[in-house]
Amino acid sequence: MKNLLPKHKAKRMEPFDLVLNVVVLLGAILNLFPFYWLITGSLKTSAGIFKMPPEWFPSTFHYQNYIDLFVGQPALRWALNSILVAVVTTVLVVGCSALAAYAFAKLEFKGKSFLFALFIATLMIPKEIFIVPLFQIILKFNLSNSYLGMILPNVATAFGVFLLKGFFEGVPDSIRESGRLDGASELTVFLKLVLPIVKPGVGALFILNFVNVWNDYLWQMLISRSKEMMTLMVGTASLMQEINPNFAYKMAGATVAALPMLCIFIVFQRYFTKGITLGAVKE
Amino acid sequence: MKKLTKLLALALPACMAFTACGQSAGSATTAPASTAATTETTTSAAATPTGEKMELTLWLTPSWKGVFSGDEPGADYDSFFIEAGKRYTENVNPNVTIKVEVIPGDTRDEKVSVAESTNTLPDLFYEGAFTMSSYYHNGSIVPLTDIVGAEDKTDIADGIWENCMVEDEIFVFPFAHMPGTLVYNADMLKAAGLEQYIAGEYEIATWTPDELKTILQTLHEKQPEVYPLSLFAMNNQGDTWNLTWLRMYGSKFFGPDGKLIVNDGAGVQALQYLIDLKDAGLTVPGPESLTSNDCNAMFQNKQVAVSFTNSTLFTNLQTDMNNGTLEKFDARLANIPGDPAPNSFTYVSGFMAMNTGNDARIAAAKDFIRYVCTDPALVLASKNTLPVRETVTKQVSGEMPYLQAYTDNAKFIYNFSNNMPGYKELRNVLFPELQAAFTGEKTAQQALDSYVEKGNAVIEEGRKVSVIYN
Repeated sequence: MKNLLPKHKAKRMEPFDLVLNVVVLLGAILNLFPFYWLITGSLKTSAGIFKMPPEWFPSTFHYQNYIDLFVGQPALRWALNSILVAVVTTVLVVGCSALAAYAFAKLEFKGKSFLFALFIATLMIPKEIFIVPLFQIILKFNLSNSYLGMILPNVATAFGVFLLKGFFEGVPDSIRESGRLDGASELTVFLKLVLPIVKPGVGALFILNFVNVWNDYLWQMLISRSKEMMTLMVGTASLMQEINPNFAYKMAGATVAALPMLCIFIVFQRYFTKGITLGAVKE
Repeated sequence: MKKLTKLLALALPACMAFTACGQSAGSATTAPASTAATTETTTSAAATPTGEKMELTLWLTPSWKGVFSGDEPGADYDSFFIEAGKRYTENVNPNVTIKVEVIPGDTRDEKVSVAESTNTLPDLFYEGAFTMSSYYHNGSIVPLTDIVGAEDKTDIADGIWENCMVEDEIFVFPFAHMPGTLVYNADMLKAAGLEQYIAGEYEIATWTPDELKTILQTLHEKQPEVYPLSLFAMNNQGDTWNLTWLRMYGSKFFGPDGKLIVNDGAGVQALQYLIDLKDAGLTVPGPESLTSNDCNAMFQNKQVAVSFTNSTLFTNLQTDMNNGTLEKFDARLANIPGDPAPNSFTYVSGFMAMNTGNDARIAAAKDFIRYVCTDPALVLASKNTLPVRETVTKQVSGEMPYLQAYTDNAKFIYNFSNNMPGYKELRNVLFPELQAAFTGEKTAQQALDSYVEKGNAVIEEGRKVSVIYN
């Protein structure tokens, strides 16, 4: 096999580098293994998953789990519902959080610190505590069994504001001031000058929030009343018999549910890793 | 970044448009939430529906597919209930329609709890009786005593009714049931020379505790590659079998006042029996960290010789072996041993009318329940699990070879939950004590003393808030 690296860059690997590479490789295998087990498990029978010694690779591919999921059940619709709810919620969260975080980081107004503290304090309240009043509000607005009912309560998140505020604070004030001096409005400064600088943060928030909404089983379960409105998580769970659970089937559902998240992560990976590392360092 | 901004800018309006459509579509197809319940508890409403037009909501967790059989085209978990609703509207009450919602079983309590708090309970529920007993006590389920006739009482065995009642009130109209037993790999017993303990293909074997020990010891010696008996205590799943093991030497489990008394001599002897089996290597290792599902899968994979089952699990096992999903072996049924007689239990499932606070809706719900549970054509669907009615049993016995054995076994059925308040919480008290006993942290006596102490506190607490006892 040809060495793909240019000659001048090809270096002999030091023993320490070799060890590090082996460690990283092992770490990668360790992290990828659950995903491998999930996919291969979805192609086994329920009993096959529990075989001892384990069947590392399915001896025969059992596609029935996927057939059960997609034939006779609106699983495609459930997947689309999940994607729709997760994408719209995330886009709105990113939009709202970015605007609020920019205001907290760059604008001066009365009660700013108090308001921000209030925002952050809401992070300490688990959703389970306010789920009943929240559900009541949704009922009052007649949003039960609707996409908006699933989306709206998740839009205002203090976490997004908290995360992005750190990024906005890292942007030098001189950039904003020069924009303002050139006659740009606050919104133009925000959209054209500052937001592009914090895009790693936006990417990180996008992924974190997407995963969060995608996995928000309880709320989606409460809101969806008809089969057509169920998300993939809820729909798959509604097919599981409590007394006789088919784990392979559950794994098929989980595989289908994991794929969009994987795609999202691949697309936004660059921003995510950058965002996480940048967010950790504050000048 | 430009690309990302453009992408978001394009996606946002499109998605918003979609959500708006979805919302209106959802609104159009969704019936209004159940009529707000009053704060008063409606304990009964006459089962005579008014002429008012209404749509009743029925919730169920997945139970069986199809109306009468899972082979029907388009068979689904809601098929029977949709069909029953349609027939009710066409044949009985054109003013009432039934909307069916299948809800996930693993979050049933969360869903019901939020519905209770927001006055959005469904009108009807189809579910296993023991999983709903807490809701009889908090007033979310109304009694059905007034719609049960004398002929229903004679057609359905007393043991089944006991699972559906608290004091003299009936809260569940039983429709089908699912008996729990042991299952054994007859091929393994044959190979170990234990033919004399193997019952007929369609019979339920009855062994004494000593006989079971002999079977397990022989299996251990002759088939060292398999674990003789499955045992599990990791969580509360499948704990009904553990409750039945604890009655093995005749402990009544509950005293006349409804309090736990399983720390008596017979209860301790039963737990010690299990500990001894485990210490002698006659069970799967580490039962404290195994779930019932682990054990079931091990039995299916021929790693365990004697395990637990219920009628649905057993039917599915046979189906999987017949369609090649599982390697074939001779699986047969046995009772959990008992001295002097074995104990058997059954999961009764049936219809419940929820306390929506609206008498007209409750009356309509009761009328629907009466119709589904007594209509000669619809009750035949109970063969999807096992029928509770003797008349149906006679009709379908030709199609179900095990039915006679289950019917004969009904005399051993006991009511495992005692329909007490706080049964859900009580379940969470047992398995940690079993874990302590299996790991040697506690003796059998200490574990059961602790269970009784904590369990009785749960029962007392439950009684304080039960609308039945107060």
